[in-house]
Amino acid sequence: MGVVRSAVERFVADAAGFGADETRSIVLAVDEALTNIIRHAYDNRTDQPIAVTLRRLDSTASSNGSGGVELIIEDHGMPVPPEQLRGRPLEEVRPGGLGVHLISQAMDSVRYEPSAAGNRMTLIKFRGPRPGTGA
Amino acid sequence: MRISTRQSGEATIVDVVGDIDLYNSPEMRKTLLAALKEKHAPCVILNLKEVKYIDSSGVASLVEGLKVSRTLNSKFILYGLSAAAREVLELSRLIKVFEVYANEEEALAAGS
Repeated sequence: MGVVRSAVERFVADAAGFGADETRSIVLAVDEALTNIIRHAYDNRTDQPIAVTLRRLDSTASSNGSGGVELIIEDHGMPVPPEQLRGRPLEEVRPGGLGVHLISQAMDSVRYEPSAAGNRMTLIKFRGPRPGTGA
Repeated sequence: MRISTRQSGEATIVDVVGDIDLYNSPEMRKTLLAALKEKHAPCVILNLKEVKYIDSSGVASLVEGLKVSRTLNSKFILYGLSAAAREVLELSRLIKVFEVYANEEEALAAGS
């Protein structure tokens, strides 16, 4: 996991041009996605393949012309039940169920779909303010 | 990740060095629960100064430690949170659930 985190961090910061805070959030989102795959799609097996594809999005890809990054994470595991992709209410103080929430907080777009081999998650983040927040 | 424990008065201090993720959070969980349940430590202080990264599995271990400490009437205190660790706890809306201090001196004062 540490190796993947380092690689994603380098790409997001150096190639895609994100600042330190956004880079940290994107790395966390990828880590959480990998954790969910290992836990749910691979039933806690850590010796199974996961492919992470990173692509820089140019300025035409976003409405504010800022560009960004697309991360596609694919596994060959079991389909993940939709209820495990919804997270849980944050008002409950209990272990577990936070990963999905952290992913959606970090990214502008999160898409999950079954693939021919297993599952595919597509994460997109644009540089700058989150669309619609005005922040 | 490296983890070790030391004693300071009645407080058990757990020092963690390195990243906390899916692979090593079980070790941290085990250490925290051993201090609380087996050693019956009245106060467990977790030193996160050297932790630059923690994910939701690490946070889950912290939450479990906190819940066990409440059951046993022990104190459970964190200090030295990096920006990344603080951000994960804030995004999880858990930062106010934990007792968090800037340094060991403050944590020990709160734990005594």
